[in-house]
Amino acid sequence: MRNAFLQLVLLALLLFGLGAAPALAAVACDLNNPERDVPRLFPESTSYKTSYVSIPKLGGTPLLRRIESRLGVQYLPLYAPIDVPYTLYEVYRDKKKIGYIHGVNQKGQFGGIQVFMSQDLTGRVKTFYLQKITGSAASKFREAKFAKKFEGLTLRDFDSYDPVRGKGTGRVAEIANPSPELETDFYGILRGLKKNLILMDEFVFAPERGKP
Amino acid sequence: MITPFQVAYKNLLRKKVRSLLTLVGILLSTWVLVSLFGFNRGYEAALNRDIDNMGYQLMVMAKGCPYEAATLMLQGGKGLRYMDQSMVDEITRQPGVDRVTPILMQAFFDPNKGDSGGIAGFYGVDAGSYPAMKPFLRFRKGGWFHDNAANEVVMGYEAAELEQREVGDMTMVPEKNVPLKVVGILERTGSQDDGTIFVPLKTLQRISQTNQITTIGIKVKKDADMEKLENTLYQLKDVQVVSFSQVKQTVMKLIATARVMVLSIAIVAVLIAMVGVVNTVLMSVLERKQEIGILKTMGAMPGDIFRLVWTETLILCSLGGVAGIGFALVFARVTDLLARSVLPYAPSGGLVAIDLRLSLLTLAIIVSVGLLSGLYPAWKAGRIRPLESIRGE
Repeated sequence: MRNAFLQLVLLALLLFGLGAAPALAAVACDLNNPERDVPRLFPESTSYKTSYVSIPKLGGTPLLRRIESRLGVQYLPLYAPIDVPYTLYEVYRDKKKIGYIHGVNQKGQFGGIQVFMSQDLTGRVKTFYLQKITGSAASKFREAKFAKKFEGLTLRDFDSYDPVRGKGTGRVAEIANPSPELETDFYGILRGLKKNLILMDEFVFAPERGKP
Repeated sequence: MITPFQVAYKNLLRKKVRSLLTLVGILLSTWVLVSLFGFNRGYEAALNRDIDNMGYQLMVMAKGCPYEAATLMLQGGKGLRYMDQSMVDEITRQPGVDRVTPILMQAFFDPNKGDSGGIAGFYGVDAGSYPAMKPFLRFRKGGWFHDNAANEVVMGYEAAELEQREVGDMTMVPEKNVPLKVVGILERTGSQDDGTIFVPLKTLQRISQTNQITTIGIKVKKDADMEKLENTLYQLKDVQVVSFSQVKQTVMKLIATARVMVLSIAIVAVLIAMVGVVNTVLMSVLERKQEIGILKTMGAMPGDIFRLVWTETLILCSLGGVAGIGFALVFARVTDLLARSVLPYAPSGGLVAIDLRLSLLTLAIIVSVGLLSGLYPAWKAGRIRPLESIRGE
């Protein structure tokens, strides 16, 4: 009884300490207002849970190198160190998990682009949301009809398309740039989406499959 | 040979849960007390740091609410009034003024920020005088603008991080759609400068279609009479003067009420903890009446019994106090975060500064108050009559 009480006190203090830690550190990309944004990305959701994942905890430098190799670029996050925690939103309908929301920062033509996407439990893109983008014609990228073109995409769709060079075939290649004067932003969004898909694959789906 | 200290320690271990709960009470009250002392010191130091980082001691701005203006200047924002740039020359002529720098703050609406748009702030500074006011600013890469009308920006570290900009990249002034080139990115300073985008004054005036400014920063000569200078500046038409000593006093007044409330809570917490100490030790004395009686029949004097029971109080308060200080140190960042979430203005940098001196002071307070609380149970134990207590059982 006494031991159980002591364990309970220690556990409460430990959870308090650990729970507060991620909120203090710099975070890669957060939703500005999750209470509003999660239901917009997942209209059927009733709740969500926020967790933080980081490359050092999940595999360290070998994982970073693998992600960079899959992305085809070095220096995964501009400015952010390797231990920057990534915010992962697990979305629920009642008690059943129905999907994930994850976001990344991406360099754009005139400023940072914050690319968020929602995925179902198989990793398929439901929709995506640009929380921030800069430029006079940037609003075209935030239109619903542009986001709709990404519905149902998976990581496999990027196998035949390279968003770094902007070359390839398949579904991604068929998506037209709605704002040709902001070409850097268009490819930045595609790169952000691929980065999101790769990170989610490494953080969530690969461990679920039991192999990288 | 067993020492009185060991006897007292073993006595406390006889009722582990009761002793533990008393310890937790002391721990919590110490935690609150040392965190509050640390906050008192840390907040003022952080505010002083913020003010020093401004680079100037006086600010002149168009008439309005000085408190709002001061907070806006420290945090950045919009809604300030404008004044004529000729005021710079008028102020420069005043005796006691070492250097001045004109500033224009502007905010533009960015429709592509967040769900329904947001504000992007720009800080127009004079390429000649502003860098001289802040010689401590260091560049991560690049440098200051090439001239006062160049289409260039210098970004604070966090602004560059948010905008994912590097030297040579372009950025855009929303609403006006004017592209500007990033020529410098500052090292992290831990101050408001980290989130600031600096633009040459004339460039920002051109973009905003104004030839006015919002603020003048004044560096005062070392031997100048600050009060006299402030009074002289007050005589200037349609402007108000904000000295950072005033800003500091105002902000400290704003948080004074909160400090008094938290101090009251801390005192109540300490009192509750000490009632717990009295209860624990007194219970222990009453339960050991027979033992104490036997000790006395064997030759123990009232003073020996008093010291034995008082040592139990000393052990409880010392252990609880040390643990409380440990928790305050470990969770200082959490306390910092909580304080930031409730304060009207929180300066950058750590708000809770706990050092060895503060820790020892708190420990001394807790142990002293604890020993005072332990007087009654110890006195009661010392007065136990041996024969009565043995017969009573």
